[in-house]
Amino acid sequence: MRTRWTRSRLVSLPTLVTYGLLGMACAGSPAPTDDAGAPAAANERPVVALVMKSLANEFFLTMEDGARAHQQANPNRYELVAEGIKDELDVARQIDLVEQMIARGADVLVLAPADSQALVSAAAGAVEAGLTVVNIDNRLDADALAERGLEIPFVGPDNRGGARQAGEVLAATLNAGDEVAIIEGAPGAYNAIQRRLGFEDAMQAAGMSVVASQSGYWEMDRANGVAAALLLAHPDLTALLCANDSMALGAAAAVRAAGREDDVAIVGFDNISAVQELVRDGTVLATVDQHADQIAVNGIEHALVILDSGETPADLQTDVTLITADTIP
Amino acid sequence: MTDPGAVFVATGLEKRYDVPVLTGVDLDLRPGECHALVGENGAGKTTLVKILSGLTPASAGGMMLDGAAYRPRDRAEATSRGVRTVLQELVAVETLTVAESLFLERWPHRWGWIDRDALARESRPLLDRVGLQHLDPGQPMASLGIGQRQLVEIAAAVHRPCRLLLLDEPTAALTDAEAQRLFEVLADLQARGTALLYISHRLEEIRRLADRVTVLRDGRVVASEPIAAVSTDALIQLMVGRTVSEAITRTTPATDRPALQVRGLDAGPAVQDISFDVHWGEVLGFAGLVGAGRSETMRAVYGADDAHRGEVRIDGGEGGQRFASPGQAVEQGIAMLGEDRYRQGLLGTLPVRVNVALACLGRLARRLGWMDRTAEQTAVDALIRRLRVKCTSAEQPVDHLSGGNQQKSLIARWLLREPRILIFDEPTRGIDAGARAEVHQLVAGLADGGSAVLLVSSDLRELTTLSDRIAVLSKGRLVATFEGPDFDPEAIMTAAFSGHVAPHLTPPDHADHA
Amino acid sequence: MREGLSLVGVLVALSLGFGLLSETFLTSASLATIANQLPTALTLAVAMTLVLVAGEIDLSVGSVLAVSQGVLGVAMTQLGWSWPAAIAAGLTTGLLAGLVNGAIVVRWALPSFIVTLGMMEAARGGAYLVTGSRTQYIGADIEWLADISWLGLSAPFLAAVALVILAEVLLTRTVLGRQAIAIGTNEEAVRLAGIDTRRVKLTIFALAGLLAAVAGVMQVARLASADPNAGTGFELSAIAAAVIGGTRLMGGRGSAVNSSLGVVIMGVLATGLTQIGVQDPTKRLVTGGVIVLAVIADVYRQRWAGARQHAA
Repeated sequence: MRTRWTRSRLVSLPTLVTYGLLGMACAGSPAPTDDAGAPAAANERPVVALVMKSLANEFFLTMEDGARAHQQANPNRYELVAEGIKDELDVARQIDLVEQMIARGADVLVLAPADSQALVSAAAGAVEAGLTVVNIDNRLDADALAERGLEIPFVGPDNRGGARQAGEVLAATLNAGDEVAIIEGAPGAYNAIQRRLGFEDAMQAAGMSVVASQSGYWEMDRANGVAAALLLAHPDLTALLCANDSMALGAAAAVRAAGREDDVAIVGFDNISAVQELVRDGTVLATVDQHADQIAVNGIEHALVILDSGETPADLQTDVTLITADTIP
Repeated sequence: MTDPGAVFVATGLEKRYDVPVLTGVDLDLRPGECHALVGENGAGKTTLVKILSGLTPASAGGMMLDGAAYRPRDRAEATSRGVRTVLQELVAVETLTVAESLFLERWPHRWGWIDRDALARESRPLLDRVGLQHLDPGQPMASLGIGQRQLVEIAAAVHRPCRLLLLDEPTAALTDAEAQRLFEVLADLQARGTALLYISHRLEEIRRLADRVTVLRDGRVVASEPIAAVSTDALIQLMVGRTVSEAITRTTPATDRPALQVRGLDAGPAVQDISFDVHWGEVLGFAGLVGAGRSETMRAVYGADDAHRGEVRIDGGEGGQRFASPGQAVEQGIAMLGEDRYRQGLLGTLPVRVNVALACLGRLARRLGWMDRTAEQTAVDALIRRLRVKCTSAEQPVDHLSGGNQQKSLIARWLLREPRILIFDEPTRGIDAGARAEVHQLVAGLADGGSAVLLVSSDLRELTTLSDRIAVLSKGRLVATFEGPDFDPEAIMTAAFSGHVAPHLTPPDHADHA
Repeated sequence: MREGLSLVGVLVALSLGFGLLSETFLTSASLATIANQLPTALTLAVAMTLVLVAGEIDLSVGSVLAVSQGVLGVAMTQLGWSWPAAIAAGLTTGLLAGLVNGAIVVRWALPSFIVTLGMMEAARGGAYLVTGSRTQYIGADIEWLADISWLGLSAPFLAAVALVILAEVLLTRTVLGRQAIAIGTNEEAVRLAGIDTRRVKLTIFALAGLLAAVAGVMQVARLASADPNAGTGFELSAIAAAVIGGTRLMGGRGSAVNSSLGVVIMGVLATGLTQIGVQDPTKRLVTGGVIVLAVIADVYRQRWAGARQHAA
């Protein structure tokens, strides 16, 4: 207990200082509600704390909207407190948020960890404090959980399966032996790894040659630079498989700049609104909708079931939908 | 030559920066002796103290301490050899407590934690010894008056074995009672065999304390005598040397048309209800002790600092206004050469050309703010020649120049602007004799040409030589104005001290601001 | 000028090195690709150089870029504005952000580090608000800007080169540039010389904001999308490029041309390392090393120049 506290405070000190300086601390503190801070009595509605990654990211915004809509449809079943961090890599801030949720007496923690490893101790703290914890979106590291003897159920989309489906759509348009390259998400992120594995599954199965696999850090501009360099280094490249749609947009711009729209195909992931026009006109061959609005809802439902029944936690995989020019609404 | 009983001997010490500051200085100090070091500003006294205390190395020459070679690399080494210094400029760290300042070099500690109890315990006798019985060792230095800080510094300097104590103007900021206490502490040290090297401008003080006196002039020792063997007049004569070559001849008398009229100017405790007139063609000198408010007055007139009351009138024009910024003053034809040329004037890393052109960029530009490089080059080169600024070219960075040539570059900056009223604050501080004479000629020439000059100087000889009239400030007030050409230096000094003879001599920090 | 030459030397050495390691690197297509990636970074480095020379810093350039392009993107996709009107709106946003930075720094005499750190957060928030945190895909309505090219070099790149030259002229040949350099060297001396230092600083910050918006427009043209997350960390890249180019962080010295060479060196490194297949951790290691080496080299170059001056 003591170590955990010390460690997380150390990690988060610079963040706290920054927030304090800017007078923005209020942005991260739990939203005031009429019964804020009061421990939930047994017969009251349980408080569900939803801690997500960057709300600057359309994906998590959609996730939050879905959860809020669900709570409004079921006002008597639970109370929702939703929080997100500033950017996807602000791990220390997310740890602070989890601790704040514990402190304000939440009953359920639904957590989309910014980092698979770094959030394990915070999640363990929540379990110790008696919260029902459900892991969504990005899976906590299995070894780290086992080491602490923790079982935290995971509710999330099948990233690997979705990526494989998108890859299969692509493979159908190529010939065996064609050169393809992967633009990965942030190194070490669970979903980045899963999507890369999914792409690789599909490419191997179809006998394609993956000539390069580099990180674009989920960002459009970086992916654009990486794609441009890969296009130069590999004149025979036939496809770029991007681990999210922002990077697919960046890659599309690079392909266009190189004048190779007819030779190089692109696939993405996430089905953000900006990419839909490119899917319609065929610039992006396929993307994957993981139903962001349902991910948090599924997590919350799963947690409420555990809370009610006290049954052994189990994982739950949610569906993903392949989006192509044919299926896009 | 050397005295076998001497605790400290220096032979042929030299120090050169861009110009020689010290040349062939011999000095010997005997145990228990108080040895006075006197000389004009810039004679090299402070440089000599800095060499002895390890703050700067000598360029040549040797030193012996207790019969062993002495060449301190830094102040810590000097301290460890028993040479301690109380410097003119206080270096107190304001956030430390009195006790922490006393033991700055070696705080009592246990496993890296400062032992606060031991600190307080060991501080007490040290403070008692310098007459600060009522001071709490836990008080922060910032809360002390200047006099008390000085005594704390002295206490810090003498609480460890001390073979040689260097004091640079130790009584400048002390009240009479504090000074008395200091003299007792010094007498006690002397009795234990510590040699004192005592720098002071206060000749009567020296006459009372010192056994021997060494006179420095232009970096050379011009006399070293028992104090009893030399009269005060003779001492002044030795310090000043002969001044015939520095005589300034003014060709055109001052007019009686006012150029600048200042009325009731208030700006903080340093500037209180100051009023004066300067006329076209006149040099008005400003005398006073350090901290009398001369620079502050000039800055308030110029708009560099905010004044909260008073008015400034130019050429008999509209009253009721002050300058809100230096820019407004410059627009009205005023220029100010600040007292600290590094902080207030020089663009150190930039070429002489850029430094000289700075105040005139608008006039050296064509349309749309486009610099006219040819016009700039021509104008700057002309001034470099006119003021004989010694530089390899106008493109040489100004911080590679000697102090005198830096000062001439700054004067060139203002001459290019052709102001009608010039404020010179300590224009010859820290520059060599040759440049100093040239600056004097320039100031006189400007007044002869019809400009009005306000001249602040701590050098009374400079003031009396150049000024038509001298205004004396003391403790933020203008206490007297003297008419030239024959000034009575003693009367000026008396006036300068007049603000300090009030019965309650409180340090400035505790001054009543009502 | 001499420092410029040494940077060109580094650049040539790097290019030859990558040319040896990758047969595709030293081709005109490759070099044009690198060039066309650079306009955003070049323009930001120019903005940063102007501010650093005046002894200040602007940490908000990346966020101001994002909010400006957010305004541009929303104006075109959601409000249906024509491209000139949308670009004008984007540029005005940047200019206003710069003016706010400058006005606060000048009015309350605050350190620009903290003021622009605040603007970095505020402008990023503005970018999310205006776009609803959604990337705006604009497409052909804007990307034709990046398609105009001359000898394979895109219009944004040529515009960025023009801005570098303009900024160099501003610094070396105009009253404003001279005043900025002087303020960066010794602000109090400049004030006492009768110059309104506040007006100069306000102008410099406004220019920096405007240039950040220009950089935003360039990025939108290249990527055909306006991204509220754009420009994250670009302020540090701009500072690094300026420092590689010999700009003094404390002010008083800097050259837009040399800073732009710093940008080109970083760009060549990024593309070259990707082309030879170096993985990201190594890329960062090498890039960081080059930044620090450049600063160390600058220390020696200055000592050498100083010694020469003294000998002269």
